[in-house]
Amino acid sequence: MNAAGLDAAAGRLAPWRRTPTGSLGLYGHFVRLAFLKFLAYRLRYYTGVFSYTIFVAGHYYLYLALYAGRAADGLSATVGGLTVREMVTYVAISWIGRSLYFNNISRDLARMVTEGEIAMHLIKPFHLQSVMMFEAVGEAGFRLIMFTVPIMLVVVPLFGVGAPAGAAALAWTLVSFTLSLIIYSQLGFLVGCLAFAMKNIQGVLRAQMVGMDFLTGVIVPFTFFPGWFQTVVAWLPFQCISYVPVMIYLGKRTGPDLVSGLLLQSAWAVGLTVAARLVWRFAIRRVTVQGG
Amino acid sequence: METPTRFASGSDRSKVARLAWQGRIFGAYFVQFLKMRLAYRMDFFIDTLAVGFSLLIQLAVLGVLFSKVRELDGWSFPQVLFIYGFSLVPLGLFNLVSVNLYGFADEYLIGGRFDRVLLRPVGSLAQVIFESFNVSGLNEIFLGLAVMAHASWKLGADFGVIDLLALLFLAPGAALVYLGVFLAITAVSFWVEDKMGLAPPVYNLIRFSRYPITIYSLPVRIFLTFVLPFAWVAFYPAAWFVGGPELAKVALATPLVGVVVFTGAALMWRRGVRNYVSTGS
Repeated sequence: MNAAGLDAAAGRLAPWRRTPTGSLGLYGHFVRLAFLKFLAYRLRYYTGVFSYTIFVAGHYYLYLALYAGRAADGLSATVGGLTVREMVTYVAISWIGRSLYFNNISRDLARMVTEGEIAMHLIKPFHLQSVMMFEAVGEAGFRLIMFTVPIMLVVVPLFGVGAPAGAAALAWTLVSFTLSLIIYSQLGFLVGCLAFAMKNIQGVLRAQMVGMDFLTGVIVPFTFFPGWFQTVVAWLPFQCISYVPVMIYLGKRTGPDLVSGLLLQSAWAVGLTVAARLVWRFAIRRVTVQGG
Repeated sequence: METPTRFASGSDRSKVARLAWQGRIFGAYFVQFLKMRLAYRMDFFIDTLAVGFSLLIQLAVLGVLFSKVRELDGWSFPQVLFIYGFSLVPLGLFNLVSVNLYGFADEYLIGGRFDRVLLRPVGSLAQVIFESFNVSGLNEIFLGLAVMAHASWKLGADFGVIDLLALLFLAPGAALVYLGVFLAITAVSFWVEDKMGLAPPVYNLIRFSRYPITIYSLPVRIFLTFVLPFAWVAFYPAAWFVGGPELAKVALATPLVGVVVFTGAALMWRRGVRNYVSTGS
């Protein structure tokens, strides 16, 4: 390409000259690239299917023992509004959903900051937050085909996972999990931004890893918890990542509940995206890159 | 005549002197590591918080589950709590020394650090294991002991000197099981480049070895006892304290299982080292 051509290309890339379709094309490119990048590492996801099967299996036996223990003591067969079969479905759908929305944005961003690689991203004519979000979409596309579907094929027949409450419930579950992806990614981005202030956030990342599955309701449904805890989590974004979509799948959220759930998710998705952008803007103003 | 330096080859010494000499070397490794580590005191503090946080969540999960049921397959809350507390001690011991196993293939084999290891006149396995420590393992050990103490108090158990001695054998025995399993997985990378990532699913299995394994179906129990022996890292050894007279006898086999698993893995490692060809980087 000659100099003029390069100039023209650079001009098209500059954010202030980009048309909306141009932006879409650019970020669409990141979706595709992320998809291809993960495709290259697809072997790793075969053992991941085992991991997720283990997660589901472990909780499956745990809850079976719990419901059996209740039956032995003559207690009611529903706990927190769920029968044993619904509980098994809850566990399986939670993990299946997690296999889709999960990503490592927090870790990747923290690594970029601590290793100084962030400097290279700051001089490029696009917004890292948007790039990472679109890469997360590409990753999720890969995960859906190569990870989530295989996990479903193993887990659903193995543990007798219940069907969705209906065609509409299934469709809304998919919409809901898509919103989960945005919330999860933006939260990850916010956590990663902590690296600007703290340099080393290994401890925070570990806490995130451990705390996330608990706070999103993957491990125990919130209805098992005492009332005060349910009130607290209702005000946090985490329940929108897993608990809400899974409850939609089970048909426990219909009508106005369904609408309010989806609206709440959308609100968190937008709110966290805006918050992350503000934090980012503040953080890069005071970033010091040593080498990189 | 030239006097040998402190770290000269030990091949010309007696067996006892050689052991003492190796001990001194690994002591020096540890001191060196501590110096490096103390430069980042804040990390350790944050890590303590993270371990404490993860413990808190696990306890909350157990607490919530047992608020819905009196017994889990005949196991009471304090019993399960005890098993959980016990599981942290061998896990902490294992975490202390296992950091280098995770990145072994990348850093040592592909990155070429293993050449340096082989040039030194000390065992390669011991070097790799002792070259880095994860001090946060101490957090797990202490928190585990605290949970065990609390659970025994709730159980109203009265443990004596024998139980304390048993703990001193059972916990390291269980840690050897961990070390053996992950060492074997690491040793595989001498032959094949591990593109699949065998370690994560095995690691993920750990969290389910903390529950009484009687809640699992028979095939799963057999698998955890004989194939991937994670039943020996928490449930069987802890059964010495809370599992009744029958299982207490089984618990005593833990150190033996640990030694067998570790020896098998160490043999694999040795064959792997013989098979090793440097990447030349």
